[in-house]
Amino acid sequence: MWSFLLVRILQSLATVAVAVVLIFISIRLLPGNPALARFGQHSVPARVTAEMAQQGWDRPILAQLIDLPGELLRGDLGVSFFHGDQVAARLTETIPATLELSITAILLAVPLGICAGVASALWRGSWPDYAAMTFALLGVSVPVFFLGICLMTIFTNMPTSGRVAPTMISQFHTDFFLCEAILTGRFALALDALRHLLLPAVALATIPAAVISRITRSSMLEVLSSDYLRTAKAKGATLGRIVWRHALPNASVPIVNIAGFQVGMLLSGAVLTETVFNWPGMGRYLVTAVREQDYAVVQGGALVIAAMFVTANLLLDIAYLWLDPRIRTQS
Amino acid sequence: MRSLLFCLIVSTFLGCGGPALPSNILIYGRGDDADRLDPIHTDIGESVTVMCNIYDTLVTYDEETLDLVPSLAESWSTSDDGLEWTFHLRKGVTFHDGTPLDADAVLFSLERLTVPMHPFVFDQVIPYVQSFEAIESVSAVDPLTVKVRLKRPTAAFLTTMAMFPASIVSPTAVKKYEGEFWKHPVGTGPFQFDSWNVNQQLTLLAFDDHWRGRPEIDGVIFLPVGESAVRVKQLLRGEIDIADNLPPAEIDSLSKNPEVIVQEKEGMNTGYLTMNNDKAPLDDQRIREAIWYAIDRDQLIKSAYSGHATKAVTLVPPTLWGSHSDLTDRDYDPAKAKQLLAAAAADGVPMPIRLQLFVMTDPRPYMQQPRQTAIFIKDSLAKVGIETEIVTNQNSQHFRRMTRGEHQLGLAGWTADMPDPDNFLYTLLDLDNINDVGGNNMSRYRSQKVHDLLAQAKVEMNQEKRAELYREAQEEIFADAPLVPLVHTSVRNVQSKAVSGYLLHPSSLTRLRLTKLAK
Repeated sequence: MWSFLLVRILQSLATVAVAVVLIFISIRLLPGNPALARFGQHSVPARVTAEMAQQGWDRPILAQLIDLPGELLRGDLGVSFFHGDQVAARLTETIPATLELSITAILLAVPLGICAGVASALWRGSWPDYAAMTFALLGVSVPVFFLGICLMTIFTNMPTSGRVAPTMISQFHTDFFLCEAILTGRFALALDALRHLLLPAVALATIPAAVISRITRSSMLEVLSSDYLRTAKAKGATLGRIVWRHALPNASVPIVNIAGFQVGMLLSGAVLTETVFNWPGMGRYLVTAVREQDYAVVQGGALVIAAMFVTANLLLDIAYLWLDPRIRTQS
Repeated sequence: MRSLLFCLIVSTFLGCGGPALPSNILIYGRGDDADRLDPIHTDIGESVTVMCNIYDTLVTYDEETLDLVPSLAESWSTSDDGLEWTFHLRKGVTFHDGTPLDADAVLFSLERLTVPMHPFVFDQVIPYVQSFEAIESVSAVDPLTVKVRLKRPTAAFLTTMAMFPASIVSPTAVKKYEGEFWKHPVGTGPFQFDSWNVNQQLTLLAFDDHWRGRPEIDGVIFLPVGESAVRVKQLLRGEIDIADNLPPAEIDSLSKNPEVIVQEKEGMNTGYLTMNNDKAPLDDQRIREAIWYAIDRDQLIKSAYSGHATKAVTLVPPTLWGSHSDLTDRDYDPAKAKQLLAAAAADGVPMPIRLQLFVMTDPRPYMQQPRQTAIFIKDSLAKVGIETEIVTNQNSQHFRRMTRGEHQLGLAGWTADMPDPDNFLYTLLDLDNINDVGGNNMSRYRSQKVHDLLAQAKVEMNQEKRAELYREAQEEIFADAPLVPLVHTSVRNVQSKAVSGYLLHPSSLTRLRLTKLAK
């Protein structure tokens, strides 16, 4: 088992390294010159050249690539062309907002998706099944963007933008607003943060909840038709015991698989959700950077997302090991 | 993580965060965030919106018109040869950090803008440096008198001094924050900088000791909200007090809502269709005129601007002195267009004509719906037999490619940096401004006569004579038809009923000193 883990960790590191190189090269091969975007219509060749030299973007790609590992180890992701500040520092500021949003979305999506899937499988062909599957179909087909606007229109008393009311932002020391407000016992602030968090989290949770419910349904249907459950039913086990004690644990591997994958996908979903709800997280930071052609930010953000995605997958594999003894044995 | 824990523990014991903001705060929702708050280092409109409330200039515009009035300079005079300008500063003005305003501060600010490799310039990006290149030297005569020496007489010099890059900054703050000054701006303006959470919110608080008196409101929070549909919802729910830069259709529907107030003022901008005069068949004047005749601009205004624009005949907007808007226009006349094309064909211009039309992706104030405008032009030209292919590029790439002259037709426009016809005619149509890097004469129009007139107007100090020169230049330009002026758009803003005293200014500067909030 340990060797399996070691191999997976090494594979993950290699994947991140390949992603880093690909992102690095592709950003540099983009047409145009990043300094020009900064200078806009007032560009003068000498100044563009000076800016490129100052940022080190004028050196050969290979030389820049050789320096990259050292820079990454120092936590240096470069300087934003547009805002002129350290990309690593800005990412560190924005990641807490994305984490708060994504974790809330996961906490909503996983139980909701599993419950809908289980209900759908248990009452197959009846109204709960149709309702859950209609919800799932809508969930995967309605764009987050549109859903966000719909939610704002429906819930007219909920805030539409930001993490707290603008006049309250000075009340926070850290970037984990909700956690900080709860831990410091400022419940009015926590309530405000929660109200701001709810609509974007629901919008973000919809796709993963829908996907998880569909997978749960099919996985549960397969397990429910197995012999050992028929035996359990014959022996008079209650429905609750059959579902939660016997069926669900055995149906859980594909569910964990898809749930883990969805956690990775949440990061890309967060880009749209954060844009619609003006949520000051990493996703919105990157969207703005793409619009401003701020290549250093795009590169840094892409690296972080790649690393987070690979980490999520690694944790998923570890979860498999824990859940399924067969994998442990094989590995 | 350790710092997070530390902060949590500290804040648990202290029981609170930073000081609470006062209640009478205006919330200003807009599409984007500022970039840098150092006046010499930016040309981004969102930064200017903030900075014109933090800093003052020596001269400024009147509250409602484009007339120049005293600001930090109480009075000024110029030498007979127009080469030397003397500014007498206002007494008793202080910066937000307590530094007194004196001639040294003005000298410091203007030298940062004009002296190459100034020791207190930490970023080489000075977008407006060209606008101030006529300044030869600046000197302090006494603590409240500053003398500016010019390389040549410059008629628009005083107007240039009202531009935001000439804002007066606190030398103490620049020396203290060095390369980080743009994050900690200190001026003498009505509002002082409080905090900036990038892409989240930027907060200014009223400056109690402002020389014109404390602003009516306690402060303003600038909130960047990218989606205009969300800004509309926020305004209707009272989450923001002013919504900036909304699309025309949104403003039209809001204008019917009794809960909000829509302000409208004629802007100082021009949207136009540039035609690359260097490329065949657009090097033939008849083809350019035919294109002009083929576009029904009245209809374009209805379909792409919801009627909130005026038809342009010349580049200089009618709101600006020196505009020759009474030129006899080339009215929409497709038959005439076909005639001109036929005449050109008879002289050997190959037919049918196929042209590429360059279009930007994101709207600009003068081109609020670029895609719709492009489709309208494509259809209009198709009716007279010109085929058009629409080529869409991201905004900076669009202008970049057109500056290099890669286009045949292209959507373009200009919002004035300063209220002077020179800023439209010289910038957009002079032969000095044809180059691959930042030359704004994207039509590549070369007229020695127009160049001579514009050069003469630049150094003529009498405004009436200048206006006459500009009128003559506009007649020449109209006759040559190097581009098709399309529209001058209105500046529109939407605010909640709680906001009063905020006036849209024709310069498009957002000045919030007199704004009141009934909350």
